[in-house]
Amino acid sequence: MTRWAMTVDLRRCVGCQTCTAACRTANATPPGVQWRRVLDMEVGEYPEVRRAFVPVGCMHCDDPPCMHVCPSTATRKRADGIVTIDYDLCIGCAYCALACPYQARYRADEPRYAYGEPTPPEEARLDRGRLGVATKCTFCVERIDAGLAAGKTPGVDPEATPACVNSCISQALQFGDLDDPQGKVAGLLATHRHFRMHEELGTGPGVYYLWDRADG
Amino acid sequence: MNAPERSGKGEVRRLATYCYQCVAGPDLLQVKVADGVATEVEPNFGACDVHPGGGKVCVKAYGLVQKTYNPNRVLTPMKRTNPKKGRDEDPGFVPISWDEALDTIAAKLRAIRETGLLDESGYPRVAASFGGGGTPQSYMGTFPAFLAAWGPVDMGFGSGQGVKCYHSEHLFGEYWHRGFTVSPDTPLCNYVISCGANVEASGGVVGVWRHANARARGMKRVQVEPHLSVTGACSAEWVPIRPKTDAAFLYALIHVMLHEAKRERLDLPFLAQHTASPYLVGAHGFYLRDPATGKPLLWDRRRGAAVPFDTPDTDPALEGAFHADAVEIGPDRDELARGRLAGEPAFAKLVAHIAPYSPEWAAAICDVPAATMRRVANEFLDHAQVGATIEIEGRTLPFRPVAVSLGKTVTNGWGGFECCWARTVLATLVGGLEVPGGTLGTTVRLNRPLSERLASAKPGPDGFLLPPLNPTDKAHWSPRPNIRNAYRSMVPLAADGPWSQALGPTHFSWMFLDGTPEGLPKVTPPEVWFVYRTNPAISFWDTPAVVERMARFPFVVAFAYTRDETNHAADILLPDATDLESLQLIRIGGSKYVEQFWEREGFALRQPAVAPRGEARDFTDIATELARRTGLLDKYNAAINKGAGGVPLKGERWDHSLAPDRVYSRDEIWDRVCRAASAELSDGAESHGLDWWKAHGLATKPFARTDWYLFPTMVKQGLRFELPYQERLWRVGQELGRRLHEHGMRWWDKQLAEYQPLPKWKDFPGEWERAMVAQGGSAEAYPFWLLTARSMQYSWGANAGVQLVKEVADNLTGHKGVVINAGTAARLGIADGDLVEIATPQRAVRARAQVRQGIRPDTLLLVGQFGHWATPHAKDFGMPSLNTLATMSLELTDATGSGADIVRVRLARVAA
Amino acid sequence: MKPPTEFGPRPWQQTSWDARAATNFILGGTGTGLLVAAACFFAPQAGWRVLAALGLVSVAGGLGAVWFELGRPWRFANVALNPRTSWMTREAYASGFVFAFGAAAVATGAAWPAWLAALAALAFVYCQSRMLRAAKGIPAWRVRELTPFIVTTGLAEGTGLALALAPALAGGAPRWVGAFFLAVVVGRIGAWLAYLGAASRHAAPRARAGLEAAGRHVVVLGTVIPVVAAAVAFALPAVAAVALALGGLAALAAGWRAKHAIVLRAGFNQGFALPALPVRGAR
Repeated sequence: MTRWAMTVDLRRCVGCQTCTAACRTANATPPGVQWRRVLDMEVGEYPEVRRAFVPVGCMHCDDPPCMHVCPSTATRKRADGIVTIDYDLCIGCAYCALACPYQARYRADEPRYAYGEPTPPEEARLDRGRLGVATKCTFCVERIDAGLAAGKTPGVDPEATPACVNSCISQALQFGDLDDPQGKVAGLLATHRHFRMHEELGTGPGVYYLWDRADG
Repeated sequence: MNAPERSGKGEVRRLATYCYQCVAGPDLLQVKVADGVATEVEPNFGACDVHPGGGKVCVKAYGLVQKTYNPNRVLTPMKRTNPKKGRDEDPGFVPISWDEALDTIAAKLRAIRETGLLDESGYPRVAASFGGGGTPQSYMGTFPAFLAAWGPVDMGFGSGQGVKCYHSEHLFGEYWHRGFTVSPDTPLCNYVISCGANVEASGGVVGVWRHANARARGMKRVQVEPHLSVTGACSAEWVPIRPKTDAAFLYALIHVMLHEAKRERLDLPFLAQHTASPYLVGAHGFYLRDPATGKPLLWDRRRGAAVPFDTPDTDPALEGAFHADAVEIGPDRDELARGRLAGEPAFAKLVAHIAPYSPEWAAAICDVPAATMRRVANEFLDHAQVGATIEIEGRTLPFRPVAVSLGKTVTNGWGGFECCWARTVLATLVGGLEVPGGTLGTTVRLNRPLSERLASAKPGPDGFLLPPLNPTDKAHWSPRPNIRNAYRSMVPLAADGPWSQALGPTHFSWMFLDGTPEGLPKVTPPEVWFVYRTNPAISFWDTPAVVERMARFPFVVAFAYTRDETNHAADILLPDATDLESLQLIRIGGSKYVEQFWEREGFALRQPAVAPRGEARDFTDIATELARRTGLLDKYNAAINKGAGGVPLKGERWDHSLAPDRVYSRDEIWDRVCRAASAELSDGAESHGLDWWKAHGLATKPFARTDWYLFPTMVKQGLRFELPYQERLWRVGQELGRRLHEHGMRWWDKQLAEYQPLPKWKDFPGEWERAMVAQGGSAEAYPFWLLTARSMQYSWGANAGVQLVKEVADNLTGHKGVVINAGTAARLGIADGDLVEIATPQRAVRARAQVRQGIRPDTLLLVGQFGHWATPHAKDFGMPSLNTLATMSLELTDATGSGADIVRVRLARVAA
Repeated sequence: MKPPTEFGPRPWQQTSWDARAATNFILGGTGTGLLVAAACFFAPQAGWRVLAALGLVSVAGGLGAVWFELGRPWRFANVALNPRTSWMTREAYASGFVFAFGAAAVATGAAWPAWLAALAALAFVYCQSRMLRAAKGIPAWRVRELTPFIVTTGLAEGTGLALALAPALAGGAPRWVGAFFLAVVVGRIGAWLAYLGAASRHAAPRARAGLEAAGRHVVVLGTVIPVVAAAVAFALPAVAAVALALGGLAALAAGWRAKHAIVLRAGFNQGFALPALPVRGAR
């Protein structure tokens, strides 16, 4: 089996938002719709305070609450772990947005442009099918599928890898098959201490946050 | 790379190009173009083995698509119709044809050539300002050839230099170790003390890439800074130090190493053989010199005698008191003493000098526990591995995996010299200067050749690197400077190299318009001022004053992306083709700014991915037309032949020169440059033209990793680092003082006191407190230190008008308001999001409060440089700038001609 | 649905559902209670069909309001595609039965479709409570104690409204309606307190504050006043109808206020939290 998953090395992330910007352009999302973003978090009180940068987005959960609540079955989970949305089926009730504990979902009802009026790339890339429906990070599923069809390996070959991972300048974001013991993701998880966001909710996120070496 | 692919909608192409929007570049990317429209930016993974950041680009590059299609762009040439200038005057710009625009400019320029290139004060009548730490040069095509053809141009109207750069680091770094910028050898370093250096925001892709790898590897970085910056966030430890006291902190570290640690923990052989530590210092503070040769003496324990420093096979003493037959030479070659003279090694002088600066002494100044400083000093020593070696490319070199890096406000203004000196002394004490793992220079900008750092390391007198100093002797010093900021007259260390004009006291050009101090020719407005990719009305200090002064300039030509606060004063706006629309070849690789250490070197092409919007024109075509219309075509082509396009067109085995009298198209010019670049890379074997470069994007050859380090070159040339003792500067300062006083110039005396052989701690924060008193305030009434910090998303990028950049930057603290300590905010009744006023006695700005824990209670932080009032989109941010509150002043100018980004302010909630 | 103006890491109020969605919970619950009261207590008394019809209108009004919130309203039929796991789909099915049996009861005046409609209405309001609970992203919603409150408040609101309308539409209320009303009001305050306790353990401080503000109304307006009204009604039959009508309206208002607060004031998400901080470089 294949289970696509992402690792986020919190030791490496610098909060630069390159992934945020790369995702926005790769997926042509409208202003404000950040399928991937990096949070700037503070923990503690002065002077004992720490600051961390935490990339978030759809966690592609094993047991996605968004899918369970979806009344139209627009949200589904593929056998390879990717949670998808059928834009033609979605009624735009936004219930999934409330069910998601990671605030990964958006709904834009009207076309929105960076400067009010559409620029040529915005005009060319406007997908009216994504208006009024739920959208979120897809793990760049089209790239993965096209890459696999072309014999590429997601997480290794850029053509088959999510745009945010490709863009990451600190190599904090990595992608691969969780079920491949020889793969990058499984290797990182084996050698590092990690957690998943809101693990207690039992959603089984497919995004793992590394925070120390396993031997640390 | 260029192979078209079919998408569902039409043809999709990916074109290789570069991004050099910040000083930490260049980086390499691909632009995805669908049906002639640029849609996406992607890394250039084809270059991942060449580029030290994996062929990736940072967030700024992802804004390039929006930058190209921004509807607020200026897309036709325009002229001003309102002769009155000023912030409150509507310029009344109206579109004109390119012919009218270029003819108008050419007519002005021709008139100047007829009256003379210099004005009555001796200053160039034409001035030009480019911002971004030299990055605009990678976008201005052959405009440098036009400037070279023109003759004298005043490039010293500052747009940020001196306060926004690492000024003392630039000047002293080049002086001591050819390090215009200084970096840890991050891939090998294990322990970094980072005093305010914000590499995670300003180190670009490569800086972030290298430090992330180092952190994962286990490198410990201690961030010493008043606020918890992104770099502090990514460090192992944050030490919240009181602003502008870093020198005291560093002195305390030196104190621990010299007065608490055992001597043998220092790299004594390095100090003895590769620094000035053993040079004997006489009673007047100058070296004892061999009466016969004039060479500095050291005490050879092997011979039991004083010998010239370059005597072979010596065992130099570092401590003790000795007598020698010697001569002591002071300023202007004055002989101060001769005969049997007493002297002490410079190292012993250092030990005595640093004795008072204990951690307990520093604790009261820095608000950092003495135990912390003691621990950091010992950790530094522990990690230094004194005596260790490493093999790199088959060569065995010293290995000292410790470094100290310094930030902007630490190296700028008063105290900057002391910090740079202390940092470099720390490196030398453990033998960690310019060796693997240690503290390295990355590039040169004041010495030549610009692209070959090691070749710039030429031998000078006394066994040191040739010092790139401006003359201070009576025969050569002049009170009539070549440009308005008077760098050659006032700042010996600014040198007279390619970038020196921009590294003088660049605020003098603005300040002295309102009154030139005694001894200098009256500072005049330039008759023509070219502005490109810079916005001093926003980015300099004291921006209201800058705006007021530039309004007096009679003729301003602005290459304009959008309307902005500087081109508000323009007479002509010229729309140049932007990043994705124009063509240029640049050098890449080797060791460049900040952390760009490559293992390849070569060239990369920026090619037009899309057609220029509107009537925007490629900068090369604009430059060619200006040259033709001003009758300078032959000189312009000659300048290109000489290398103004980045590569000399003629080499030993190739000649792609332009004919002097022909007008060449953009593509013809760059085809020649491309061929010359190919030839240079292949020693004449290849001459690929523009089409080949468009298809391939870049070409490189190996750059030895051992060339990252200056130490082998120093050893090969038998040179020592001019540390710790600054005998030469001691002399130069006195000479400069004499010259100035000879011309009645007493207004620089405070700065002259900075020329010391061993710099003393002074109350550096007090400089700003006293300035507050001079402004009519008091330290108590204005109790906060207002600081700024670089924003990675914006710095150098001229991208404040790009929506995507604003949107993603807002995810980070500091981009939506002023950062205030939570305890302070609670005390003042300020809640997160409240509107607050930040004020000096003269001015006030307003911002939303961003209440955070990661900042000292006495410190406020305004990230970036905003406060726009003309730039579309940016003017709606509601974000103020420190630059509005900072005032240019002589009192706050240090001896290198720089000031610092720090202001004393008061803070209050604005009643709803 | 607008992009959030703030985004973590601290919890922030959800913006996915606005007043239109809240209206569905408000009118849906009230309509449910009204249908139950009409079928169980007023039928076959004159005017019960009017009350039942008003119950249907109320439920329909709630569903109509939420229809306006759909991004793709003309695809509303797709709501029926996931009965397997989605409580929204189940709510839709329940509403179908509510309208089918309710319409039959109102049209025919027969008792059995009215009882079936009341059963469907209970299922409907139960589905609504489970809808909120399934919204795993909202700590104040995902507690099991929410169901008793949503159901009891629906009954209290509907019964209260019935009591208020009864003098005019049904010639007065049967005496034991007051007893039932008293019971559900007391049951509701118990459910509310249990819910508030559970929600407070998980919800963000600002969400808690929103609930506590509404809670004061649930206590005074929703409990004290109705209980006093019921007592007055029992003690003084002459003013019983007026007292119960006033008590009923007070109970109704408190229920609306509470549901408004749950959806629009306590709808804070969980934000983000780090169970471990990154170890950057050496320890």
